[in-house]
Amino acid sequence: MRRLTALICVATAVTAVSGPVAAASQEEMIELGRAVYHDKTRGNCISCHNINDPVANLPGNQGPMMVAMKQRYPDKRKLRAQVWDATVANPLSIMPPIGKHWILSEEEIDAVVEYIYQY
Amino acid sequence: MKKSTLTLLAALTLASGVAQAETFQEVFNKHRAMYGKGHEFTYEGKTYQTYHPEEVEAMAEPSRDNAEALVASAEAKRQDAAAVGYEWRFTGRILKQAQEALAEERYQDAMDLAAQAKYQARMAIQQQAYAEENWHLAVPE
Amino acid sequence: MKTIRNWLLGAGLVAVAPLALAAETGFTLETVDPEADRLALQEFYQKRFPGVPVEEYVNGIYAVDPPSREQWDALMEFPPYEFDLEEGKVLFETPFANGKTYADCFENGGIGIRHKYPYWNKEEGTVKTLEQEINECREANGEEPLRWKKGAIAQISAYMAWTSRGKTFDIEIPEDDPRALQAYLDGKQFFYAKRGQLNLSCANCHLQGSRVLIRADLPGPMLGQPTHFPVYRSKWGEIGTLHRRYEGCHRDSRSVPLPPQSEEFRKLEYFQTYMSNGLVVNGPGARK
Repeated sequence: MRRLTALICVATAVTAVSGPVAAASQEEMIELGRAVYHDKTRGNCISCHNINDPVANLPGNQGPMMVAMKQRYPDKRKLRAQVWDATVANPLSIMPPIGKHWILSEEEIDAVVEYIYQY
Repeated sequence: MKKSTLTLLAALTLASGVAQAETFQEVFNKHRAMYGKGHEFTYEGKTYQTYHPEEVEAMAEPSRDNAEALVASAEAKRQDAAAVGYEWRFTGRILKQAQEALAEERYQDAMDLAAQAKYQARMAIQQQAYAEENWHLAVPE
Repeated sequence: MKTIRNWLLGAGLVAVAPLALAAETGFTLETVDPEADRLALQEFYQKRFPGVPVEEYVNGIYAVDPPSREQWDALMEFPPYEFDLEEGKVLFETPFANGKTYADCFENGGIGIRHKYPYWNKEEGTVKTLEQEINECREANGEEPLRWKKGAIAQISAYMAWTSRGKTFDIEIPEDDPRALQAYLDGKQFFYAKRGQLNLSCANCHLQGSRVLIRADLPGPMLGQPTHFPVYRSKWGEIGTLHRRYEGCHRDSRSVPLPPQSEEFRKLEYFQTYMSNGLVVNGPGARK
């Protein structure tokens, strides 16, 4: 019972923290997503997906370019799911399951999705 | 006509049986993938939240005992992954950080890190089992 | 109604498909067919890179990517492995403390034999590689074994490959020992199975991802990969063995990498080299 209470407390605390932060700083989130997207030791998304951002350096082309994201994914959550685990749609995909394999944290995935959803 | 309708019904029943066979893990992943942590969903009539079991373990009271137990179980899982030849590269490093945190009495940090390592080890074991069954799908004909 | 019927038809096909597949791909000891695998692989690349002759694949990415080829041709005017070749020849010919040499350990004095490696050793029940036998030769003659990845072992192996240039790879899978076919099958599985936190198989990059950019790197085709090893790799700034490269690739998938000359890597080499049967030895090579 004590454990359960603790669990609920933690859960509440998490919501309390992440709610306002996410709402308050859409721009910060996009900046985080951008950093993660281009950083070799973090997301390194640029190694396979080109994007029309001046900071893009030596983009690869194993995956599609990040364009028309809103048309391709009218539901942003479907885009998030594709980032989280691309092997659901294609088990042979070369794309690492970013969320399923905890390559990035859930917060970093949210940030990357916000960043690419602008394109 | 009657016969074919019956067959169709039987097939549909069978098919719906197949559809329901979506495992808990699949439903969990689907929701975690779309919403991240702490999202509510239902599976076979029960309500769940999208926390990995390891994350739930890390929500226990941050005490020495709890942290030690979680670190130990994560280390055991890592060894299981190594035993099937599929240990991931950073799991050991994360566990080392967990042990350092434990030594410095940062119990919550130790538990969070151990949870991450334990989750990775579980995924590595799953990955091996999946590869064993499905590797042939990648072979050109 | 029509939709439902179509849908059912689809479901039926899905149910049947795995059975049909099982009969063709050869992924059990009973069904695996190395020659069919080899021809299917050649066909795969011929469709992917039309007009590139099979024998060109010994040149890796430079066989299929003209811009890289141009840079490589310039580099090859003074091959970066020349020094290692000379050094390898000296090491190969220098007698051990007991007066014997490497030539005493190998068929034909170790000259022109690279294309027979790796091979299935029935007595030991395992795949043997050239580097492995170089070290076994040393130990049999009272010398310390060399380290597996670079330096002297790569130089000696490079010299032995050089004396075999132009010979055609002819890896055999002896039919009188099913363990040999099992080793081949294990190597094949290793190549196609996804692993590591990044969930990558060898095939992800070197089959479906060959000649597609990962940042500034173009992965080469798997066909012909083992023919040019050991290689002087610009990224290493020195010469290294095939298993050094295996270890690096394995690590890049974010796995805890297997050690060079581990059983799994030797089986992988067995499979990969069998796939290159019919191609010539052109080691040592130079790569980006």
